[in-house]
Formats: sequence, C-alpha cells, structure tokens
Amino acid sequence: MRERTLFFSAIIGIVLIALGILVATQVNLMPVEASTRAAAVDQLFRVLLGVSTVIFLLVEGALLYAVLRFRARPGGTGEGPSIHGDTSLEILWTLLPAAIVVVIGVYSFQVLTAVEAPGNRPLVVEVVGRQFSWGFRYPEQDLETTELHLPVGRPVVFQITSDDVIHSFWVPGFRAKRDATPGQISELAMTPTKIGRFPIRCAELCGAGHAIMTSEVVVETPEDFDAWIEAQLAMAGDPVQIFNTMGCGACHTLTAAGSAGTIGPNLDELPSVAGARRPGVAAEAYVTESIVNPDAFITPGFQPGLMPKNFGDRLTPDQIQALVAFLLAQP
Amino acid sequence: MSPHAMPHAEDFRAGQALGVDHRKLGMWLFIASEVMFFGGLIAAYLHYKYSLGFPEIELLNVVQVGVNTLILLSSSLTVVSALAALQAGRPGRMALFLVLTIVLGVAFLSGQAYEFASLYREGVTLTSGVFGSSFFTLTGFHGLHVAIGVVWAIVVLLGGLRGAYTAERSMGVEIFGLYWHFVDIVWIMLFTLIYLIP
Amino acid sequence: MMTATSAAGWRRYFGWNTDHKVIGVQYIVTSFVFFLLGGALAMVVRTELAAPGADVLDGATYNQTMTNHGTLMIFLWILPVVAGFGNYLIPLMIGARDMAFPRLNALSYWLIPPAGLLMLSSFFAGGAEAGWTAYVPLSIGGPPGQTLWALSVLLLGFSSILGAINFLTTVITMRAPGMSFWRLPLFVWGMLATAILSLTATPVLTAGLILVALDRMVGTHFFTVSSGGDPILWQNLFWFYSHPAVYIMILPAMGIVSEIFPVFARKPIFGYRMIAMSSMAIAVLGMTVWAHHMFTSGMDPRLRIPFMVSSMVIAVPTGIKIFSWLATTWYGKIRLTTPMLFALGFISMFLIGGLTGIFLATIPVDLHVHDTYFVVGHLHFVLFGGSVSAVYAGLYYWFPKITGRQYDERIGRAHFAINFIGTNLAYLPMFLAGLLGMPRRVADYDPSFTSLNLWATIGGFLLGISVLPFLYNALLSWARGPKAEANPWSSLTLEWQTSSPPPPQNFAVIPTVTHHPYAYGDTPGAEAVAAPATAGAGGSR
Repeated sequence: MRERTLFFSAIIGIVLIALGILVATQVNLMPVEASTRAAAVDQLFRVLLGVSTVIFLLVEGALLYAVLRFRARPGGTGEGPSIHGDTSLEILWTLLPAAIVVVIGVYSFQVLTAVEAPGNRPLVVEVVGRQFSWGFRYPEQDLETTELHLPVGRPVVFQITSDDVIHSFWVPGFRAKRDATPGQISELAMTPTKIGRFPIRCAELCGAGHAIMTSEVVVETPEDFDAWIEAQLAMAGDPVQIFNTMGCGACHTLTAAGSAGTIGPNLDELPSVAGARRPGVAAEAYVTESIVNPDAFITPGFQPGLMPKNFGDRLTPDQIQALVAFLLAQP
Repeated sequence: MSPHAMPHAEDFRAGQALGVDHRKLGMWLFIASEVMFFGGLIAAYLHYKYSLGFPEIELLNVVQVGVNTLILLSSSLTVVSALAALQAGRPGRMALFLVLTIVLGVAFLSGQAYEFASLYREGVTLTSGVFGSSFFTLTGFHGLHVAIGVVWAIVVLLGGLRGAYTAERSMGVEIFGLYWHFVDIVWIMLFTLIYLIP
Repeated sequence: MMTATSAAGWRRYFGWNTDHKVIGVQYIVTSFVFFLLGGALAMVVRTELAAPGADVLDGATYNQTMTNHGTLMIFLWILPVVAGFGNYLIPLMIGARDMAFPRLNALSYWLIPPAGLLMLSSFFAGGAEAGWTAYVPLSIGGPPGQTLWALSVLLLGFSSILGAINFLTTVITMRAPGMSFWRLPLFVWGMLATAILSLTATPVLTAGLILVALDRMVGTHFFTVSSGGDPILWQNLFWFYSHPAVYIMILPAMGIVSEIFPVFARKPIFGYRMIAMSSMAIAVLGMTVWAHHMFTSGMDPRLRIPFMVSSMVIAVPTGIKIFSWLATTWYGKIRLTTPMLFALGFISMFLIGGLTGIFLATIPVDLHVHDTYFVVGHLHFVLFGGSVSAVYAGLYYWFPKITGRQYDERIGRAHFAINFIGTNLAYLPMFLAGLLGMPRRVADYDPSFTSLNLWATIGGFLLGISVLPFLYNALLSWARGPKAEANPWSSLTLEWQTSSPPPPQNFAVIPTVTHHPYAYGDTPGAEAVAAPATAGAGGSR
C-alpha cells in the first residue's frame, strides 16, 4: 500500500512540476521588457508563477478529488475514521513550504540588490509630480521639460518628488515605481534597454485627475537624445516653449501656443484687456503679477487657489519678461 | 421571562482557577490598549524630534515640571495607601488618602496648565509648528487621562463614603488604582523622553 | 422582558439589550446592511469601469465612490460582522451564560450605528476622496466629509477595542468546567488571536486619526510638509494597524471554516493543535509585516528586507491551515451542504489570494505591481473569496441555531454557484490588468485594458445578483422556514447541545466538558450523532 501511494505521489509530483515549468516558461503576462530591471524581475516572476502553479494545482486538485472520492453516499449517516493528525505529514507540510519560502526569499534578495543598484555614471533626471502632470528636469543641462527622453543603454537615476500630494512615478515597461512624496526626494535607478515609447502612469491616488496623470518616456539612441536636448535648450528662451513646458495650456486658451484650456481666463484676449483690468496697474505689471502671484487678483468669473503659485521660482526673470512681452504682443 | 441576568461569581470559575479576576483582567487589557495609543503619539513626537530637531525644547522648564512630576508620583503613593487602608479595615483613612490623591492630581493639572501657558506666551502653541503640535497633543492627552482619573477618584471617594467598599469588596478601588498608576507611569515616560533626554 | 422565540421578540433587536445573542444578531444584521450599501457602490464603480473614459462619474465623484466602497466594506461590514459571530458564539462554545462584561458589550454594538451614519453623512459634506487609506497630504486638504470619515473610523475603533477586551476576558475567565484551552473550538482560538490584534493594533490607528483630525480641524502641523511634517509618518501609523486588520478579517473566517469541515466530513479536524498555534503565529507575525505596503514609499532600502522576510514567513502557518483542512476531508464522508460548499469555496479562492500575496511580498515584483489592479485582485480574493465566503458559510451553518428555523438548501446552493462564478470572473482579470500596466483607483484607463475590465464588470454584476437568492432565502426562512432541531448537523461543539435558538441563559445546566469537540468517528461505525463531549448538559449521554 505504501509503495502504491509513493508511486502515485511521485507521478503526480512529476506531472505537476512539469506543468509548473511549462507555465513558467511559456506564459507571458508582462508588458514589453524595456529595461535591465525588467528582465530580472520577469525571471523572478516566472519562477513564482511556476511554483504557484504547482501549489495551486496540487491543492485544488486534491480538493476536487476529495470532494468527489469521499462524498457521503446519499442517505448515509455513518461517521468517518477518527484521524486526528499525522506527525510526519504535518512536519513535511511545515518544512517544505518553509524551505520554498527561504529559497524564494534568498533569490528575491539577490534580484533586489541587483536591480536597485545604481549604474555607472548615471544620467540624473529629476521627476516632479504635480496634480495632474509630470515635470522633468535634467540638472546636467539645466533643462526643464514636460517630456521624458532617455538615451538607450545608459543608466539613469530618477530623483523623484512632488509639489503637492503623494503621486507615484511608474513605467510598467521598466518594472518599477517610486512614490513622489512632497518634502523628500526618492531615488530610482534603472537602465533602459529598448528604443521606443513607453507609458508613464501615476500609481498613487492623488485627486480627481489621478487617472489622467499619464505621460510617456521616449527611449532613443544617444545621438537622437543629444539632438533632442539641444533642440529643447534652443527653445528654452522661446515664450511658446516656456508656455508649454510650464503646462499653462492645461488651463488657458492661447491660440498662438495651440492650447484650448478653459479653467482659467482666455489669454487671446490679454492684449485688449490687460491694461484696464486693474485700474492704476499697467498691462505688463498686471500680467507679471498674474503669473508670479496668481491669487492677488482673480479675474471675475474664475476660481482662486487653482493656479500654481511657484512660477516665480521656476522661471527666471528673463523668461517671465519674454513670456509677458509675448502675451501682450499677440495680434 | 426575567430580564437577561448579569454574570455571577460562579460564572468566572475558570478565571478563579487561574487566579485571575475578570474585572482586573479587563482593566489590564484596557491598559494594554492605552499603552499602544500613547505609543502611537510618542512615536510621532520622537520621529519629529530626531528628524527635524526641536529648538523649542530650550523653552521647557525642566525644574518646574520635575517638581510637578514628583507631585504626580506622590499621588500614586497616596493611592497605594488608600488601598492599604481599606484592606486594613479603615475606610476613613482610605477616604483621606483619596482626598489627598485628588488634591495632588489637581495640583499636577494646574502645574501643567501653568507650563502650557508659559509656552503659549513664548509663541509655542498647538498650531505654531511641528513641535507645538506634537508636544501639546502628547502631553494634552496625558493630561486628559489625569483629569478623567481625578473624576474617577471623586466617584470612588463618594462610593467609599457611602460604605460601598470593604476589605473583601475592594475591587473597585483596586481597579481605579491600576488606572491611576498607569497614568503615572505614562507621565514618567513622557517626562523622560520630552524633558530629560536631549 | 423578552421571550426566546415569539414574533414580538424581534423588537428587542432594536433596543439596548445585554444578551450576547441579541447583540450578536444586531452586529450581523447591521453590518450586512452596510455590506449591501458597499456592494451598491461597487456596482457603480464597475459600471464606470465597464468602458474606458470617465463617462458615468467625474474623477472626484469616482474617488468618493471608490473610497466609501472600501471603507464601508472594511470598517462597517467585515470587521463588525466577525465581531458579531464572536459575540454570538463564544459564550455558547465555551459553556458560559454570557460575555464577561454584558453592558460594555452592548455599548460596543451601539457605537456602530452612529458611526455608520457619520460615515454616510460624509457623502453629503463633500465626501471623503482619499481612498480607505487616506494618505496625507491628500486627505488633509480634502473636502469636509473627510473629517466626518476620520471621526467615524475613530468611533469604530473604540467599538473594536472594547469588543476585544470582552472577548479576551470572557475566554480566559468564563470557560465551563473541563474546557481547557486545548479543548477550545478552533473558532474560539481564531477569535482569541483576533482579539489580541484588535486590542494592540487599533489604538495606533486611533493615534494617527487624531493627528489627521487635528490637522484638519484646528490647524496642527503633523502632516504639513512646509513645516516639516512627514507624510510617511501617517503611512507607518496607518499600516501598523491596517495590516493586522486584514488578519482580524481572516482569522475568524478561518475559524468558521475549521468548525464546518469536521462536521460535514464527519471526521475530526486534522492537526487541531497546529491550527490553533498557527492562528496565534499569524497574529504575532501579522504585527511585523506592515511596511510591505510601503516598499515604493522611498523608505530606507535596508529596512525593506526584514518586512519582506516576515511577509513571506507568514505563508507557512497559513499553508499549515490549508493542508490541515484538506486532510480533514481525506477519507471523510463529505456532505455538500451549503455551508460546506462555501467553506470549500473559501479554500480554493483564499489559496489564489494567498499565493498572489507571495508575489506582493517579493520586493522586486512588488515594485512593479504595487498600487495596481494586481493588488485589487489579490485583496478581493482574500477578502471576498476568503472572508465573505466564510461569513456566508457561517451564516448558513448557524442559521438554524440563531433563528430556530432551517433555510432552503437548494436556493443556498444556487447562491453558492453564482457567487463562486461571479467572484472568479470579477477578480481574475484584475491580476492581468495590473501586470500589464493598469494602476488602481482610476476612473479611466487605457483602451488596451477594456476587455479585462468588461469581464470584471460582468463578474461584479453577477455578484450583485447573487445577493438576491441569499436575502430571499434568509428572510423568508427566518420568518416562515421549517422549525430547526437543537442539533440538525449532528455537531459536537457546545452551542449545538442546547436548543435552537438557545434559551436566554444559554444552558439549563452548565455542561462539564470531558474531551475535545471534534471526536467524530471516535466510536467507529457509530451513528451520526456521536456522544457530545459533555456530562450533564441538556443531553442524555
């Protein structure tokens, strides 16, 4: 009897392990692998999936078998056997899972150490979450943008923070996220390995616009990346570039910049109304104040407290001057 | 049918076999939950103390509050004495010690009020910054617990004057004592963490 | 002032009553009402998510709906309903006449309706929008309803703590003669472990909620970033409680399953002591895992490791239980009654939830799936496929004892079938959506996730429908079902050795217990009603 049980257990064990290996190697549930991290994480994930498949089939199979095989006969009222336990079995199903847990734990620790290690001479990119868009800054080039571009193959370190509430910077293709917490900078290291465009999503509830706080990371050749940086820097003084980078179009209509936001006043009208809006305040002074101190005066019909108050810190005086001049010089 | 009956002594046989009185056990369990509650507030205070630094600590009057601490410690002594008096069959003496406890408790609260007022005069308030928020919330909740203890002491005193307690029926006083000592011990912790340790 | 079974007796459920059996029913019925409300909110959520685009609700309203769905389900359904089972069953199971502090018990219950009303009223005060986790600074700046939300949860916490004091004191000091700790039914062991967690973890949440309430109401600076406030402090205080909270929600459920399996397999529970000790191990370990909810928070990377370790280790006692239940059925004589079906369903669905938990404990994988629909799938498998299945199992199992009437078995089985299919259909697609890139708590999503969400919505609607046969069965049977015997399941635990429903003082004579309560088959070949492990109870053997 014991040989038969052992034999059947071995057969079942082999079949289950084969199925586990099959699932682990053939089933792909992850998005595109776009970083070195992704390869390591996906490997770990597949191992877990294989092990889980074995355990799942074992337990569910046993359950189903028991329910069918040990069903009471209709009308039967007898009792079952008085089995209270089996010490060797209980030791087995304590130690075997414990061993699996130890192995998975060690393996996970190794993967973690490998993927979280910052690369050699990484490109530093500052990431700022704001309700409800992402801003990026390249400190090396002193460039602020709303687009994230990365050169393929070069290690990156993201320094992530927030201007308001907690957000979370997540690139599914890279397989990691880090919370953007106000008042602190959290680092996230990785190396992109695939050229293409990959979605960025906010992964921490941050308010009404949490679902639409998406962006894109563009991974390109080093040459294309350098060219993009050059182009961005060239446009850095351009008022339309400033307008777009600062995200003004999300709330304001400005035909010259191609934006149609309606949360704030229509800026197409600015040249004709700026001078008269606040009696005693000249047009330039009014527009400048509206940018750096937006709650000082609220245009009738609009809400206070919505426009960011820190443009005075984020823009240089030259940039503000150029922007104001541009806004007032519209035809 | 009769109204649903409250449990009688024989319902607690299992506890008696273990030497555990259910009312005392209830109070100990309650105290355990209070330890965790103060633990949460203390964690907040200490987190900010060691991550931000609290320059306002210089404004704290260690000597005055130290004296206040001795007052509260003495009140634990009077509670012990009250219980001892009851168990020696001297309810009159118990009442006296309870009165002393109440007086000392009120004195402690007054001392706290004085400390709070001086800090307020220096501009350190509940809403003036992280230190103010943490300090006043933590010590304020402790003070609230002392105040509740004082009210409870009055209730026990009145019960004692009515003859509700005897050497054999002392559980009500014992349980009050447990609470009072706990509040005292919390204060020793707070005094050490806030006033003594740099 | 009350009778055991008369129709006029229903009035006592609406007033102040110190009988633990009345309080237990009050808890169960009240929390079931909140289950229905929370479920209605879920239907709204799934309607919004059936198609991409914020078409049914705008972002802010969606956030309120989603927040209150989670909050109602956790704080006003599962946590109180398990307290309700504990209340009803513990004194009966240990051979006592009531809880140690009956008036405190009534108070614990009566904190719940006002807290529930506060929670519901928050909807009309601008709503709470920050998720049931209420992370700061979002919850500090939120609408006025958020304060009512915080106060409501505070009240519910007090109820929990007072209940825990009662459960622990009762089990320690009021067991019947002969009822040693190693003869306690496993449901009672589960409640012991649960009460230890409620007692020690809840007060930390209380502290955290007070800090949030003070920030919102009087302008303290606990979480004001510009003053030096630290949002991570809230996360630590919150999760220090809320992780043990999930064990508070599952340990009683596992206890219920441990009661049901022996009865309907007609075999002793396999590995009684290991199951009892696993409950305590899960409680202790459960206090050490909380930061696994914070792996992406920017916390010190070295500190993450011990939390990963403890989160994985907790799989071992959990596994012991699953294998023990399985072994209980082996060689048994299984009767697939509705309670048994739900208990079997519990194992199969909790297994999925538990296995996916290991994925989440592994930090490298968690960094990808944290705060995505993978987590939503995981939590619903453990809480809905797990806890709610067990609650249903318990409701059916103890229905005759509590109401004195029998429910309709066929409708019960239909309920199980719809529930089982609905649960798997609703929550399996979520794992895929999360892995592929769908974050959680979103009113809108990339069109590539449309079909997964549509399947989840269909499953969700099925679950909504599945409540109807249950309600029909429960209400009609309670009112007019066939009268139940004292022990219709031939069960050996003490609550079945007295009438259905029990008399106000529970037992005519307090029983003396002579051996443990799972002695099925101890007299081989015997008829189904084995001798109960008592002498001098209402029975005759």
